[in-house]
Amino acid sequence: MILAISVVIAVVFASGAFLVLQRDLLRVVVGIVLISNSAILFIIAAGLSRGSAPIYPIDEGAVSDPLVQAMALTALVIGSSVAALLLAVVYRLYVSHGSIDIEEIFRMEMREAEELESMNKTELDPEEEEVADERKLEKEEPR
Amino acid sequence: MSAPINNTTSILTQTVAKLLLLPTFVAAFAILVKGYAQPGDGFSAGVVASLGVLLQYLVLGRREAERLVTVRNAPTIAGAGLLLSLSVAVVPLFLGDPVLTHYPRPGEDVVYLGTLELITPVLFDLGIFFLVFGFAVGAIGAFARTISEQEEYAGPGTEQLEDDT
Amino acid sequence: MTPPATLMVLLPLVLALLAAPAAMLAGVYRPRLAAPVGTAFAALAFSATALAWWKGGGAVNVAWAPTWDLRFHVALDGLAALYALLATGVGFLVLVYSSRYLPLHLGHGDRPESEGTRFYGHMLLFMGAMVGLAMAQDLVLLFLFWDLTAIASYYLIAFDRHDAEARAAALMALLVTGVTAVLLLIGALILYSAYGTFSVPELAELVEPGPLLNAAGLLIAVAALAKSAQVPLHFWLPRAMAAPTPVSAYLHSAAMVAAGVLLLGRVYPLLQESRILLDTLLVVGLLSMAVGGVLALTQDVLKQLLAYSTISQYGYVVFLYGLGGEYGAVGAAFYVIAHALAKCALFLTAGAVTEETGEDRLSELGGLRKPLPLLAAASGAASAGLAALPLTIGFFKDELLFGAALARGPLFAGAAVLGAALTLAYAWRFWAGIFLGERRDGASNPPAALVWPVVALGGLVLLGGLWVEPFARLAEAAGEVIYDAPASIEPAYHLDLRPENLMALATFVLGALLIFSRPVWVGAARGVAWVGGKVGPERLYESSIEGLNRFSDRIHRAEVRDLRSRVAAILLPAGVLVGLGILVTPTDGVYRAGEVGWHDVPLLLALVAVTLATLASTLTRRHVTLALVFSSAGYVLAALYAFLGAPDVALVAVLIETLVTLLFIATLKLIPYKVLHRQAELPLRLTRRKVYISVVAGAFAFAVAWGTLSQPAAESSTAEELIALAPEAHAKDVVTVILADFRGLDTLGEITVVALVLLGVVTLLRGGRLR
Repeated sequence: MILAISVVIAVVFASGAFLVLQRDLLRVVVGIVLISNSAILFIIAAGLSRGSAPIYPIDEGAVSDPLVQAMALTALVIGSSVAALLLAVVYRLYVSHGSIDIEEIFRMEMREAEELESMNKTELDPEEEEVADERKLEKEEPR
Repeated sequence: MSAPINNTTSILTQTVAKLLLLPTFVAAFAILVKGYAQPGDGFSAGVVASLGVLLQYLVLGRREAERLVTVRNAPTIAGAGLLLSLSVAVVPLFLGDPVLTHYPRPGEDVVYLGTLELITPVLFDLGIFFLVFGFAVGAIGAFARTISEQEEYAGPGTEQLEDDT
Repeated sequence: MTPPATLMVLLPLVLALLAAPAAMLAGVYRPRLAAPVGTAFAALAFSATALAWWKGGGAVNVAWAPTWDLRFHVALDGLAALYALLATGVGFLVLVYSSRYLPLHLGHGDRPESEGTRFYGHMLLFMGAMVGLAMAQDLVLLFLFWDLTAIASYYLIAFDRHDAEARAAALMALLVTGVTAVLLLIGALILYSAYGTFSVPELAELVEPGPLLNAAGLLIAVAALAKSAQVPLHFWLPRAMAAPTPVSAYLHSAAMVAAGVLLLGRVYPLLQESRILLDTLLVVGLLSMAVGGVLALTQDVLKQLLAYSTISQYGYVVFLYGLGGEYGAVGAAFYVIAHALAKCALFLTAGAVTEETGEDRLSELGGLRKPLPLLAAASGAASAGLAALPLTIGFFKDELLFGAALARGPLFAGAAVLGAALTLAYAWRFWAGIFLGERRDGASNPPAALVWPVVALGGLVLLGGLWVEPFARLAEAAGEVIYDAPASIEPAYHLDLRPENLMALATFVLGALLIFSRPVWVGAARGVAWVGGKVGPERLYESSIEGLNRFSDRIHRAEVRDLRSRVAAILLPAGVLVGLGILVTPTDGVYRAGEVGWHDVPLLLALVAVTLATLASTLTRRHVTLALVFSSAGYVLAALYAFLGAPDVALVAVLIETLVTLLFIATLKLIPYKVLHRQAELPLRLTRRKVYISVVAGAFAFAVAWGTLSQPAAESSTAEELIALAPEAHAKDVVTVILADFRGLDTLGEITVVALVLLGVVTLLRGGRLR
């Protein structure tokens, strides 16, 4: 049984790692969810005892380890909120860059950074730049 | 999840969805207060209740769902929940006990209301319930709002789908 | 202590701390109300402080976080009363002034009136923090209020946030005072580790001279000196003049900069145990007197002149601390009062003049005594006070200074005379430059609220010159706290040839010489200022900030360049390290396959299903299918938990899986099909590298999981204990009781994360389209 569960933990972890390495950001999110799933399975499996649920009235015989369950619950909750946050980040990236491909997004970022740098070299210092941008924004806001 | 489904759902589905909201809350409440005796706690109760709200979004559309007081105030509810749990944790400090001491202390008698035990962990769980409910409803609402805003961008032909039923 | 007495001590602090929220609330309701409400609170806090001080003060000392030995220990002793009265009294006058000045200031920038609410909020927060700082007796409490003043000043200096100069100045002030504030905390911790208490009065009895005290005292002193803008950490103060004038006035006279010398006074009982520390203060004070005084003579912008003058004036105070003794301690306290009154009046004068004429340079101003006679008279009194002329409170501050310097030796007496002469020269330059000479610019009738606070302060300066008793008694009380022993001074006019009087005369002569010989030395002084600007500490600050920025840019670039390689770069070494750990661990008979019984069949089936679902998720191309596949894996896992005797986990897992899947599908709906399709159409690129990395990762995960599961570190867990304890906690479900009770703090942390995530999600989604 230990062997079987270990194999499953490893498979889930490896699949998650594989997805995290993809270009598609949504797949990366799924990969992270899978990795956290494997971690939770690991925590649950690390319980020292296995048996009936740890709820009174408790019968004679083995009771499942309640401590790991509490930890797994915490991990589940955090994992799910992180997934929600990541999804929102992916959406945000799509809005700002029009893509959910990490390589495309990166290329755009680099281009932008280079443009900024070349502007800095030729023009004023960055602080004034920023102010000018802000003024522009302020003007646009009323619309 | 969004308005267009509105027109495709039948009156029957809509009525059932509306009717189901209250029982969902009752079920969530039961999960919450019986958490100390049976599986379930503030967290699962919060998710169950938010799934009830999600059903409203799916079947009735955003406009209808946002009429619910709970939906409009989701972040406030979450904040209130966090505050409640925090205060349950902090209040014992003022009574000279360590943080997060629960009352009644071990060995003391519990006040019962029917079969419901009146103990501070339930209050703590209630805070978690509000927080999780606020979180889930707030996240769902944020996604739904963004979706329908995008559809409004899409141009004419979609407006009538946004109409209230 | 009886409850009414406790209340009496706490009332000033409570009123001062309540002022900011009260003004903010009033401002949200009606922007016009923020100023009167804030001013009223300042007046109340001032009266409460005065009343409590008159009734004899007192202390409140209660345990705050007993496990960390933190105590909420505040006291209204002489030192606290002095600074709290200054903070609330000067604050009151500055707020009255602001009520007229701020609408004009906002009007110049076409800014809404509601921005004033922010101003009053931060100003009053500043005041509250100062009162707290004055009263705090515990080093950690002191540190908290200390940082609160830094935060408030940051917002106030950057009040004109459209102005890049103001933002940079605010950041500079925050960095210089904030980074050095950490030194204060480190110093406090050193003292705590040696003596086991954070309380200053207790420490004063315990400390012994030695390297430990030197180190801790030096750290605390550096924090205080940076706050008081002493050389070489003075450069932030002139830059901070970008703030609106009332802020500068308050910052210089009664708040931020005064906080530094307040801290020095508070920990003085510790500092005076160490000769080295006092000598350091002496040197720093002398340097600041010289640098500030010389640079003040070269400045053309009114507020810059005053800023450098503040540096030199607090240099005197630090110098007095360094001289030590009865006269040094009382003199430092008295000096702060005299300086606060005079300097605040001069700043408010500068603000009123600039507001009336639109000019802020001495070279553009002049002859304003005719259109503004009242202002000229009042600020003349204040300038005389700063210059230590007789019949002003300033005369006595220099009398004390000379007395203390004389006691130390002729060299120090000479330095004191020289410094005082510089003060006389720049005070004259300021006043004469504005009010005497030819009239350059027309000025109309200024609003009363811009003039009367200056008149009030100027009046106080004169009053102190005629009836010094109340000020001297207050300074004496503060001096006793600083000196940690009874102290008394008798400032008075003596019409004889005692050394102090001779020194004062020498000062006047030297000062007059400086004024009339200006053409001779002005070039040299400008040269000093120029060199200071080129190679001074400000340059060092700027280059280090630039360096840090470049460093962070480089790191960011490297991180962003290839995220997946970064992830791989973390996963691979982690895997290798774990693998090494497995290799070097003796593995004989460690791995156990475990038994499989008939009742485990459903469990095995579920495991097979999970395996298939996750493997399938790596192969699917379309996102909707992906969502279904990974959620099915999650559901089967939930069933698995149920089989393993964990119904709570199973319940939550099912619910979570539903929620996450729905949010995932909602995201799919948000992103156009075209974009998704492009991803789905990407060649599957089962490149060897990715497969290889993930297989290696999986293999190590397997080794770790198998090793850990077959050989648990502990024979028995705390589980049995927890199960046995559950009925004690009035619970039946052990898991829930662990979450809510036994390990409740974990849960508290967890729900905080959830709340933060909600904030993040709502903010990220609400932004809509960028640009």
